[in-house]
Amino acid sequence: MKHLRAAFLAPGVAVMAILFFAPLLIVLAYSLLTRGAYGGVVPPWTGESYARVFDPLYGEILYRSVWIAGVSTALCLALGFPLALYIARAARHKGLLLNLVMLPFWTSFLIRTYAWMFLLRDTGLINSMLLSLHVIREPLPLLFNTGAVILGLVYGYLPFMVLPLYATLEKLDPYLLDAAADLGAAPFVTVWRVVVPLAKPGMVAGCLLVFIPCLGAYLTPDLMGGGKTVMAGNLVQNQFTTARDWPFGAAVSLVLMVLVLVVTRALMRRTEELL
Amino acid sequence: MNRRIFLMSVAGAALGCTRGHKQRLNVYNWENYVASSTIPDFEREFDCRVRYATYGSAEEMLAKVMSGNSGWDVIFPSNSFVQPMHELDLLAQLDHKRLTNLSNLDARFEHPAWDPPLEWCVPYMHSATGIVYSKSVSRRPLAWADLWTDSYQRRVTMLDDPAEVFAACLRRLDQSINSGDPRALKQARDLAIQQKPLLRAYLNEEVRDQVVAGDVLAAQMWAQVAQVAMDNSANLAFSFPEEGFALYADNICILRESKHRELAYEFVNYLLRPNVAAAIAIDMRTATANGAARATLPRTQRENTILYPAPEVLARGEWFAPLPGPAQRLRDRYWTEIKSA
Repeated sequence: MKHLRAAFLAPGVAVMAILFFAPLLIVLAYSLLTRGAYGGVVPPWTGESYARVFDPLYGEILYRSVWIAGVSTALCLALGFPLALYIARAARHKGLLLNLVMLPFWTSFLIRTYAWMFLLRDTGLINSMLLSLHVIREPLPLLFNTGAVILGLVYGYLPFMVLPLYATLEKLDPYLLDAAADLGAAPFVTVWRVVVPLAKPGMVAGCLLVFIPCLGAYLTPDLMGGGKTVMAGNLVQNQFTTARDWPFGAAVSLVLMVLVLVVTRALMRRTEELL
Repeated sequence: MNRRIFLMSVAGAALGCTRGHKQRLNVYNWENYVASSTIPDFEREFDCRVRYATYGSAEEMLAKVMSGNSGWDVIFPSNSFVQPMHELDLLAQLDHKRLTNLSNLDARFEHPAWDPPLEWCVPYMHSATGIVYSKSVSRRPLAWADLWTDSYQRRVTMLDDPAEVFAACLRRLDQSINSGDPRALKQARDLAIQQKPLLRAYLNEEVRDQVVAGDVLAAQMWAQVAQVAMDNSANLAFSFPEEGFALYADNICILRESKHRELAYEFVNYLLRPNVAAAIAIDMRTATANGAARATLPRTQRENTILYPAPEVLARGEWFAPLPGPAQRLRDRYWTEIKSA
């Protein structure tokens, strides 16, 4: 019995060990070495890269990343919750609606981001339309700012919020809602006091699925932000490319990972208490 | 799938791998850097196969070949990467006796600053960084300083590349584009931060459409990319800034690890043929370092002053050079400060 269990676990453990832990150890080793003159890493071992992470300049970038990822996550939740609720309670076409949520994944994220840039730029669809309708006289600065970055992130990660929310809301016992209504709760009160608390695990899962990739995003800030805002992801990317400082890039990504881990654990524990 | 079909397909796959023993040359190049006929013609003439792949940045290429067993044979590093790659022991020393077409190189590239004896590389394409702008602007931007004026509010972009932004700022300060002097770099950083509110964005090639569309009035841009944009829009012009500007060249190198030296030499020599180099220059609208090829180009392209600036313009240019570690690090710190400002 015990042997059988081990045998079944072995492939999974092997995959995790080879594809997850081994690369992570390499990253850890890189972060503790010295920068090679033209990239790469050389001896001696040093903790200097970690000391640099706590420079206020980089702290500010981390803070900004957390802020942008937080706002994006909150917006995803605000948009995703009603949508998930609607799909879960829809009488018909549930499958179709869900497929529509996932439809964007059929195209590469890069191409969809470019599509947004075409919509938002000065001579793009939105500005040209508003200009020809004489709503505005000058094109609105829709692209290349923090707002555009948040828009791009919300757009990109909304499905990751909707799907787990849908999974929890779908399982919700409809009699509970009837009971709330029978006891005199208005529809909004029912949602707030019955649906939301019951959907909490889905909300936490959705928030994590959105917040974590947003925190490490580098494509969206680069393209939608026009390279004028640096997020942690860009900082890491830059260390491995133009700056050729692999140890520092590795250190920043590990610090980011620990940060995410701490937040995740705290959230998870709170959810467990709630259940 | 029954067992027999499975076994047959395995045998077939094994045969497919060894069939004919045709040699395979592995070529790793920049995007848009060969003509459509270049590779097929070479395969036919030398009865071999070529695995051809492209990269978008020199760092990407360097990271991949740094291991020393990347599987590539021929690569195309920029001029400032040749010396570092040689120091990292990645490049094969070139035997000029096997490069009979080397004499086709333009005089300007016979002894380039980054490898005067052409020991490690053969210059391939070259260009420079300047300003592409819309002819509708009231005053033509002929100097970097012009990109700091309010009239370009939110209609100007710089390249998303620290070396290029520092080069423009350092030239404004009358310093070398390769300066590692902390004081000069600090002043350059301040200039860049001062410009940032005016900037629409830091963009590379992707700005091309926006310049053509008129969203952007002026952009720091590579001459060769600008030329393609100008081919698509009569409303665009290009200037080589008065303060001075950056020059760069991409080079053909054979990797030390290459297991197909003979074929690699044939390929380099093939690229040096005037007709091959000319076809690439025409197809891709690039400036070839091959003087014999240039002479055969149609006059409009041969005498194009954006692809091939006049000597007195080139005199203001300066080649990018590799930077020592501390300078690189300081630049990166200042670049992060500029981006965060």
